[in-house]
Amino acid sequence: MAQVLGILKTPEDTVSAIHSLKTAGFAELEVYSPVPYHGIEDALDRGPSIIRLFTLIGCLTGVSFGYFMQIWVAYDWPLVIGGKPFASIPAYTIIGFELNILIGGLFTVLSLMFFGMFQNRKGHDAYQPGFSGDQFGCVVSCHGDQVARAQDVLKRSGCTEVRVVES
Amino acid sequence: MAAITEPVPQTPDQINDDILRVLEPPTPLYVLGVLFCATLVGIGLVAFLYQTYWGMGPTGLTHPVMWGVYITTFVFWVGIAHAGTLISAILYLFRAKWRNAVNRGAESMTVFAVLIAAMFPLIHIGRVYKFYFMVPYPNQRGLWPNFKSPLVWDLFAINTYMLVSIMFFFVGLIPDLAAARDRVRDWRRHLYRVLALGWRGSSEQWRHWSRTVLHLSGLSTPLVLSVHSVVSWDFATSLVPGWHTTIFAPYFVAGAIFSGIAMVITVLVPVRKAFGLEAYLRSEHFDNMGKLILLTSSIVGYSYGMEYFMAWYSANPYEQMSFWFRGFGYHWTSTWIMIICNVISPLPLWFKWCRTNIAWMWVTSIFINIGMWFERYVIIMTGLSHEYDPAAWGYYVPSVVELTILVASFALFLTMFLIFLRLAPVIALQEVKELWYEERSHAKGHH
Repeated sequence: MAQVLGILKTPEDTVSAIHSLKTAGFAELEVYSPVPYHGIEDALDRGPSIIRLFTLIGCLTGVSFGYFMQIWVAYDWPLVIGGKPFASIPAYTIIGFELNILIGGLFTVLSLMFFGMFQNRKGHDAYQPGFSGDQFGCVVSCHGDQVARAQDVLKRSGCTEVRVVES
Repeated sequence: MAAITEPVPQTPDQINDDILRVLEPPTPLYVLGVLFCATLVGIGLVAFLYQTYWGMGPTGLTHPVMWGVYITTFVFWVGIAHAGTLISAILYLFRAKWRNAVNRGAESMTVFAVLIAAMFPLIHIGRVYKFYFMVPYPNQRGLWPNFKSPLVWDLFAINTYMLVSIMFFFVGLIPDLAAARDRVRDWRRHLYRVLALGWRGSSEQWRHWSRTVLHLSGLSTPLVLSVHSVVSWDFATSLVPGWHTTIFAPYFVAGAIFSGIAMVITVLVPVRKAFGLEAYLRSEHFDNMGKLILLTSSIVGYSYGMEYFMAWYSANPYEQMSFWFRGFGYHWTSTWIMIICNVISPLPLWFKWCRTNIAWMWVTSIFINIGMWFERYVIIMTGLSHEYDPAAWGYYVPSVVELTILVASFALFLTMFLIFLRLAPVIALQEVKELWYEERSHAKGHH
């Protein structure tokens, strides 16, 4: 597989390049940008991030653990405090809520580390420092015989520079 | 008009250059500032070790006032920690674009303030090495903390807030650390490479990152409201006159946001001047923060009035005595400092000229910081020193040890912030650039 990199100056040009590449039949695209841009996300159409599922799992785990821990502890050494029942749900809601947020937040960040960083750690040969400054990069992965066509589409989409990164 | 004289960034690259310039080698004045603050922290550490060696005797704490400057300062710093989450999470969910310039500074202050706040209950317990008794962990004695106690709720609330704030702060920082990694040429490049966790700004990374920020904002918004509510319940669930009131949770939350925004202004105004960031921290940002100050000052002022009204309306002699003592007893100066600083001093901000006048905003913010510290001092001192039985009334004067540790906490906050200034962009690069692209896009007619 070869990679063709096109460098663009604006997010609008990048969105337009993605649409042109998709229309031309190129499906394996990667885009680098200095800022998050909804238009790029919409054009790539990769659906919602899986992270939301892990946030939900984390929150449910946290709140369940919070209530379970407090109720279990209350029965492990039963002491009547303030005339309240051992399993005093209103009083335990505070810590249940806090652990809901804490474990939910931890799961969210850990899933970002896994899906955003660990799974994405390779295949960035086309990256260049300008992509954290003011440049946008559009990378097309294609077979060797499609390189010329990919370069052509990128040039017509307003790229300031087009080059083959890996053959 | 201030807006005319403030420069406007022309390109995203200029934004990178302007903001990352703050990371360049420090001036002698900066080094002197860090050394001065670090010296004060060192003196505070000596005071703390002295107290740890001798016990709580060197403090002014004695029956009936067993909560003093330490708990006052704890509540104060928890309050300061609220601005970062308000600006980063709540204003993010409300899509308030002006937050982009100030959110990084505010988030960093949140992290430093909550770290300092978390130290004060440990300093207050005296035998600091026994702090782990509060933490639920399996032990051979079969003992567990009392989960029905607000003090244990507080432990969970503060630690959750601390960890979630650190995570939120760090996640927001990742793209900017990558930008710094790509620019800086000295030893810090290696540090940024590690901290950026391999960030490349790919569409996959942005997709997951945006969702993470959204979810952390959603989680932090109820969290920030809960944290100071839980702190207020430390007081409100007791039977102390002046504390036992349902108004405390919203009153504390509004006060926390009030003081937090004020601290953001106090710290960012000198940074703006020293590093030439006038193009990014603009008068409209101060205008908006001024409006938030007005809103929260009004809530706080209303709460002060309502406390006195309820004391009178309840016809409860203990409650009435407590509030009379608050206004005219031996701590009357603290009460009137609180009212003048928190209710009177923000009033000129009803005028836009004052809100967009940076010097005016800075002076007002300092008054508010002082007033909000005194608010907590007044609540704690007047509540505990005059409870029900006149024979058990008491007097409290903070000792030198307590005041030294108080001053050291401010010095520690400034030391951490000054060091942070040189290690990471104090203004969120990618957010400012995002706003720049959006404004340019709107100007061109793209939507």
